[in-house]
Amino acid sequence: MEINAQIALTVFMGVLLVAVAAWLTRIEDWRSYSSTAGGVVSQGERSEYIEQEKPAGLIRWLTTVDHKDIGILYGIYGLTAFAVGGLMVVLMRVELATPSTTLVGPALYNSLMTSHGITMLFLFGTPIIAAFSNYLIPLIIGADDMAFPRINAIAFWLLPPSALMIWAGFFAGPLGLGFEAPQTAWTLYTPLSTGSAGGSLDPAGGAGIDLMLLGLHLSGVAATMGAINFIATIFTQRDENVTWANLDIFSWTILTQSGLILFAFPLLGSALLMLLADRNFGTSFFLADGGNLLWQHLFWFFGHPEVYILVLPMMGIVSYVLPRFAGRKLFGFKFVVYSTLAIGVLSFGVWAHHMFATGMDPRLRASFMAVSMAIAIPSAVKTFNWITTLWNGRIRLTTPMLFCIGFVSNFIIGGVTGVFLASIPVDLVLHDTYYVVGHFHYIVMGAIAFAGFAGIYYWFPLVTGRMYQATLGKAHFWLSFIGTNITFFAMILLGYGGMPRRYATYLPQFTSLNVIATVGAMILFVGQIIFVWNLVNSWYAGKRVESGDPWDLKRDGVHTVEWQWFDRKIETAITDGGEEEQNAVTDGGEPIDKSENN
Amino acid sequence: MDENPGLSDQYRKASPWPIFIALGLPVSEIGLVFDIFPLAVGGLLLFCGCIAGILLESNYAKTLWGPVLTMIAILVAFGAALLVADGYTEIGLVTRAYAVFASAIIMSAGLVAGKLFVPKQQASV
Ligand code: HEM
Ligand SMILES: [Cu+2]
Repeated sequence: MEINAQIALTVFMGVLLVAVAAWLTRIEDWRSYSSTAGGVVSQGERSEYIEQEKPAGLIRWLTTVDHKDIGILYGIYGLTAFAVGGLMVVLMRVELATPSTTLVGPALYNSLMTSHGITMLFLFGTPIIAAFSNYLIPLIIGADDMAFPRINAIAFWLLPPSALMIWAGFFAGPLGLGFEAPQTAWTLYTPLSTGSAGGSLDPAGGAGIDLMLLGLHLSGVAATMGAINFIATIFTQRDENVTWANLDIFSWTILTQSGLILFAFPLLGSALLMLLADRNFGTSFFLADGGNLLWQHLFWFFGHPEVYILVLPMMGIVSYVLPRFAGRKLFGFKFVVYSTLAIGVLSFGVWAHHMFATGMDPRLRASFMAVSMAIAIPSAVKTFNWITTLWNGRIRLTTPMLFCIGFVSNFIIGGVTGVFLASIPVDLVLHDTYYVVGHFHYIVMGAIAFAGFAGIYYWFPLVTGRMYQATLGKAHFWLSFIGTNITFFAMILLGYGGMPRRYATYLPQFTSLNVIATVGAMILFVGQIIFVWNLVNSWYAGKRVESGDPWDLKRDGVHTVEWQWFDRKIETAITDGGEEEQNAVTDGGEPIDKSENN
Repeated sequence: MDENPGLSDQYRKASPWPIFIALGLPVSEIGLVFDIFPLAVGGLLLFCGCIAGILLESNYAKTLWGPVLTMIAILVAFGAALLVADGYTEIGLVTRAYAVFASAIIMSAGLVAGKLFVPKQQASV
């Protein structure tokens, strides 16, 4: 590097460090005089006390260690990443409306595809789950906060730098930094990702890949810290009357997920560092004979559990929310828990179904096929339980309920296509075609994202104290549901036709189905614009929720802990305000919005 | 109320350290991987300094000296490991090792300065 740049950087770092140190000393002052409220405070006063324990404005959000604030931060972060990843794929789908390249060249297409996948899995999927779990788990299990609140904050704040590093390649070109966005796909297969020219000069992205590896590593560190925190919280911070026997389904899924993270993510981290060392420090983990297969084994040993890391908590949300609008308890609760645990264990025994076509030992291959088929059983158990919960229930088609039902529907298609892929002879034909893309998008978009939407709508009043616009919510659902099914069913058909995945161009015979997929993606896009508008607008200007039971849960005797907490909070607020009639809140269940509570 | 409230006192809902720890880690990683001396030194200082700070704040440590000394020891060991590794690869690791040593030296200087100039019981970085 040039001397001038070195000096400039040194000065910059020096100034930064001094500024940080100065700011920290000021904070220390602020702490010592804001601490007058010290001493132990009784339960009743707590909520007010907590408000005083945080500074105001932006600083509050930068320094908070409150699980609820951190949950909100995770949510905003996840939705931002969802928007970025979504815009990337809109560009790709527009390109794919025609067989030849028009809008986006092959290199940019590959970069967009790589970043889309990584963004959706690591920067949207994992964080949006952390949003729900951070906000809700301590409330539901009766803990004051997470077991390690500061670790919780560190884990969150690792994510913004991680995102910037993963996307860095897109800014580097325009800034003239001399490297590109990575074009390796999210699987980072070697030898493509080791760089043919050695070091950071390879055509697949150069230093962009190194930065992405570091960014991914960072997000893995964050996820692992979060997982340790959840395990500790659920084991040690439960209220006395929350036992293992009556622990709720969402906490069970988060506990299982945290276990999976604990085993899967450190392995990914090590594999990433090995790859980084191969690229930069002269090692040859993946350059020697068999190195390419080694990478695939390491990657998928993480990669398959990762898909369950994403789907299990979302299944938890569906198991939690869906019964609320069917007027019943979850059918076969115990079996849903058992199948969660079974999936958690089995998910470490199926990874090589991603490698059937690599020429691995056929006997090994067969065992992975057997376990992959077996893991469909606990998934099916859950599906039957959801359907049975609906059976003869008093069903209320609110927006969260619609998304839950959409989840079940899409999960069935995604799961069934998965079982076909798990069969070796079928997979050898369909591997690396659009069928695979269709399969996992039915799960990641059709199920995981749908459950996320269900959760967001269901707990929106709890977090914001306001109601979203029901009509817009329903429009969001129908556009998403129709869009998902058009887009990804077309992909399944494309896969049967033999169209390979990960190309910016295709043969003219695939044009009509591709146009259909693009139209579907546009429908999805419109739905998501409505969603964002609805969220932002309702957060600022939505109708205030006046009852502690906006979903009319008391009627069915399922007014769960987090809503009781909300009830108390609203009651305190109103008593303080002194304007409202007391019974307006206590009798509960008065419809906020007629169309959402029929 | 003492200057370093933490978990054992009435629990607080804010802490200034996490965000800087989360900034220091990637900056030092980038500095070390791409061999950018100022970033490596600055990042390591930010990271290690703030870890010492948060340990103190949450009462895992009673004074700043213990954590800072540990950090310095880890940095020295890490730098030495880099020097040793340098002998086994064609990639030059020496400047990276120096960057690690440099941050250890600056932290030691900070430690001495703290010992000399900061009045007892006053915690600052
Ligand atoms: C019902 C059980 C499931 C089975 C048996 C199954 C099976 C498979 C198989 C065999 C493949 C590899 C196809 C190939 O590359 O040729 C695959 C790919 C994939 N599956 Fe599943 N799957 C199941 C559920 C899921 C779930 C729940 C998720 C997500 C949460 C998921 C996400 C994925 C992803 C992301 C890929 C693509 C990986 C890639 O090649 O880039 N699957 N699935
Ligand atoms: Cu898999």
